[in-house]
Amino acid sequence: MAVIDESGQAYDHPLYTTLLHVPGLSVAVASLDQLLTWGAKNALYIFPMATSCCGIEFMATAAARVDIDRIGSIVRATPRQADVMVIAGTITVKMAPKVKRLWDQMPEPKWAIAMGSCAISGDFYRDLYPTVPGIDTILPVDVYVPGCPPDPTALMHGMLRLQEKIAAKQAGTWRAPEVRPETEKMHGPAVRRIDDPERDPAISAEQSRQAGLHSFDAPEGELDWRGAEPVPVQAAVDFNTLLAERFGIEDFPADNAPIVPRDRHLELAQTLKAMDYSLLIYAVATHYPKPEGDTFEVAYGLRNPSMGGKLAQWRVILQSGESIASLASVFAAADWQEREQYDLVGVAFDNHPDLRRIMLPEDWQGHPLRRDYAADTACRPWR
Amino acid sequence: MNARHPGPTTDRYRLEQMDADADLMVLNFGPQHPSTHGVFRIKLILDGEVVVRAIPYAGYLHRGVEKLLEKLTFAQGVPIVDKNDYVSPMTNEQALVMAFEKLLKIEVPRRARWMRTIFAELQRVASHMLWLGTFALDMGGALGGGSGVFIYTFRERDYILDLFEMVTGGRFHYNTHTIGGNRHDIPAGWDREVFKVLDLIESRLPEYEAMSSNNAIFVARTKGVGVIDKDLALGLGLTGPILRASGVPFDLRRDAPYHAYDELKVNVATATAGDCQARAQVRVAELRESIRLVRDGLAGLPAGGINGGKPIKMPQQFKAMAGQAYVGIDTPRGELGTFVVAGGGDKGTAPYRCKIRAPSLHALSALPWILPGHTVSDVVVILGSLDPIMGEVDR
Amino acid sequence: MQGLLRGLVYGGLIITVLMTATAWGMWLERKLAARMQSRIGPNVVGKFGLLQPVADLMKLLQKEEIYPIGADRLLFDLAPFLVTTFAIATAAVVPFSADAVGADLDVGILWVLALGGLMVIPVWMAGWASNNKFALIGGMRAVAQSISYGVPLVLTSLVAVVFTGTMSLSGMVKFQIAHGWLALWPPGPGVIAFLLFYMALLAESNRIPFDIPEAESELVAGITTEYTGMKFGLLYVGEYVHTMVGSAIAAVIFLGGWDGPFHIASGLHWMVIKTVALFASVYWVRWSLLRFRSDQLMRLCWVYLVPLSVGLVIFAALWRHFVLS
Ligand code: SF4
Repeated sequence: MAVIDESGQAYDHPLYTTLLHVPGLSVAVASLDQLLTWGAKNALYIFPMATSCCGIEFMATAAARVDIDRIGSIVRATPRQADVMVIAGTITVKMAPKVKRLWDQMPEPKWAIAMGSCAISGDFYRDLYPTVPGIDTILPVDVYVPGCPPDPTALMHGMLRLQEKIAAKQAGTWRAPEVRPETEKMHGPAVRRIDDPERDPAISAEQSRQAGLHSFDAPEGELDWRGAEPVPVQAAVDFNTLLAERFGIEDFPADNAPIVPRDRHLELAQTLKAMDYSLLIYAVATHYPKPEGDTFEVAYGLRNPSMGGKLAQWRVILQSGESIASLASVFAAADWQEREQYDLVGVAFDNHPDLRRIMLPEDWQGHPLRRDYAADTACRPWR
Repeated sequence: MNARHPGPTTDRYRLEQMDADADLMVLNFGPQHPSTHGVFRIKLILDGEVVVRAIPYAGYLHRGVEKLLEKLTFAQGVPIVDKNDYVSPMTNEQALVMAFEKLLKIEVPRRARWMRTIFAELQRVASHMLWLGTFALDMGGALGGGSGVFIYTFRERDYILDLFEMVTGGRFHYNTHTIGGNRHDIPAGWDREVFKVLDLIESRLPEYEAMSSNNAIFVARTKGVGVIDKDLALGLGLTGPILRASGVPFDLRRDAPYHAYDELKVNVATATAGDCQARAQVRVAELRESIRLVRDGLAGLPAGGINGGKPIKMPQQFKAMAGQAYVGIDTPRGELGTFVVAGGGDKGTAPYRCKIRAPSLHALSALPWILPGHTVSDVVVILGSLDPIMGEVDR
Repeated sequence: MQGLLRGLVYGGLIITVLMTATAWGMWLERKLAARMQSRIGPNVVGKFGLLQPVADLMKLLQKEEIYPIGADRLLFDLAPFLVTTFAIATAAVVPFSADAVGADLDVGILWVLALGGLMVIPVWMAGWASNNKFALIGGMRAVAQSISYGVPLVLTSLVAVVFTGTMSLSGMVKFQIAHGWLALWPPGPGVIAFLLFYMALLAESNRIPFDIPEAESELVAGITTEYTGMKFGLLYVGEYVHTMVGSAIAAVIFLGGWDGPFHIASGLHWMVIKTVALFASVYWVRWSLLRFRSDQLMRLCWVYLVPLSVGLVIFAALWRHFVLS
């Protein structure tokens, strides 16, 4: 006989199958059932789906002060041997297919605990483009442990409640709570929760399909930054003096960094590198939407570790359609920094060796840190 | 080019030229793996067990923090950044409020600056404790000696979190810094508790070192593994303990003092080897130094107001003129900075653009350079020695 | 006929006792580890958590069985059973006391070593059949490690064989009762041989610092990565049984088996005490050390352990020739 799980799918239960074929064993099976439930509830192996801060508190739960081992729960690194998935942390649309897949890889009977506001509802990232507003839009959750992050004792409490729930389900005394605590005050997620009768079955199908896909990796480029020759400079000069003398810059605003012409920006970086400004601290692009076309302001900051970390900061203004020379040939750090700006703001960098998205999935549309990008852009089937 | 770091790719292993029957195997390490310290993926191309090429993929925890900061006012941003580097929330808040203070030209009272120093250093102790535990865990497995160290260090870390809870009411995320000062003053008798905890940690440190950094197996696993030379470290923008372990004695706390560091005088720990062992040694040395700094800081804590003398009752509204500001501070992972652009005018109540400079992002970008040539077992050790926190990498 | 009956009874007894002992051995390990880490360990299920192994078993029994896509089903199913079978079969020749022995083979030690060597085959099967790269790497590591550490294991057993002049395990114990325990006598080489044997044993049963095939932090769960339910349980238990039987064999070969210290109250209980003590010490080591890298492990074996054990064999032969005769 096959056993039916919560989502209505049948799965093999080797012991049942054997025992039920022996005549006259049904009474034994009933008490065996109790024994099995007792076993199931007292040996809950955990698969930690620990993505962020709550994951640290999850680790603290396994440590000495709370010691989850007391109730017989150990942490298994593979989903195949786990009974409970503890989703501890924010789930993003990039991670969601993986979570769904790991969940599918867990053997029945299985349970899920949503630990922390992020897993329950998305926390304050809820209305942001990359975040899944609650893990229960993807998989059925048995116990919610609220908090940001929940105290380790709270997770322990959650585990005990899960044990109660397992026992109650077996005894037939389990009743699902009538009102979801949050539906009264908060608007529900755009993708309906998994136990919502109005949920579109196509969404579930699409989620399963995407979970089964292998990630698509864009081909990557190559980086060789040591090859570029720095421009030699004679003596150490003050940054502003350098800008004024060699680059002809006159405007030094008090509250802002000086503006360097677009075509001399790479030369400036090389000069500074030769002057021991060897740490690339930041590369930030800012978007200014204008009716006549978007402009961008790309700010760079370098530090000189041998001169007390003195900062050299400058800006480059890009009119609509213009691109900026990449610094990746001067600083290896510019590789990822500029990729991030390309990904999130959509500034094009010339001669960048490896201009791919870094934060968002490869097939993402648009650049979220542009000012006119709606923060709560949807991303079906995950949010 | 440099013989030790042939670069992220070497000619022999250009993927596109890869011979179809070369015996290379692709191993996807992560995004959910016990030792990736969060959700992070490295695609490893293996020749047997030796990595010939490593391609990191970040972004599995990209939560859109920078977009969120644009939506909120200056004061509302503080609790948000707590969650970036979730192992060291105090320094996150400090980096943010200090940039805002610079932008808004607000002075911080002396006592608040000292308190921030104490918080930052206590947080460093907690963070390095957690690092030591998880590093040992990477090396010793969850079912082995590593978990012993892990559990001990977590126990000690819990004591520090208790201390923070006494001050802020929060065990993990504090929201205790405000623009222009601190929200919660130190309760009476807190310093005694701190001294107690520090004494305890100091007395137990040799034990942990015996189990980890002084242990023969630990040395065998870390010595000469994952070498980052000075050039590469600077080029990649690495900061903090990783840079100092590569022989660059650069520490913002000493070289460009902020908070109370100009009065407290930080001794900077450096090592020259640049390998995993050096990074571990630097962190343990920093741990001791931080304990000293907390002690000295508490002893010299000046009296006075913590927020310009006024208690905060109402949420404050700040308005910024157009401009930009960048402030970087030294956190347990390196230079954490906040770059903020203000739009001015009616957009002046919120940052127009806010970017968090995450040290872990730079640390992870070292992986393609240093992993080739190491075995799969070394991958977890190297990754652990970089101490990345995915929350701040992806934000 | 009588032999068959005896075999059945002893076989059933050994399996039952061994499995039970192993189950609570696992409980002991968990408690021990917890105490070492200033935790408490299982204490809710039954008094002192004593029913924990039962609960684990009950849970494992009802888990769904999953075959990964592309897995070799036959090998995938067979591996866990073979692991446990081989581990238990080794126990057949272990003399627990003067007359509690399943089969007192003349070549008992050979049987032990042969089955121990065979153990690697199901482990490799599991790694291969799972169609998982982590399992594959785990399997490869297991093979390399087992073949390497088989050499010092055989050589150190040879030391015992040369000393005692017999290959029967009970013969070895009788020799030790007459001449003193091998680990203590001759002073020096005996204890070195014992430690080497013990180390090789740790390596063969994949325990830290030699647990690279499982390497939780690198290979997720090594060869067991894809196994669910009872098959995982068998793989897991198989290793514990292996450790348990190995401890018993070490106790027999080097610690005088059922012989009490100074022949005080010799009997089965001494064997039990020695075995449990060795078993516990395996886990003591396991929960306090970090893990070697695979190449370091191989170097340790081939550069230090193998030459040392060859030297020990030569020493044993000389001692036998000049002192004992
Ligand atoms: S709920 Fe809070 S603590 Fe937990 S992952 Fe989300 S932001 Fe972090």
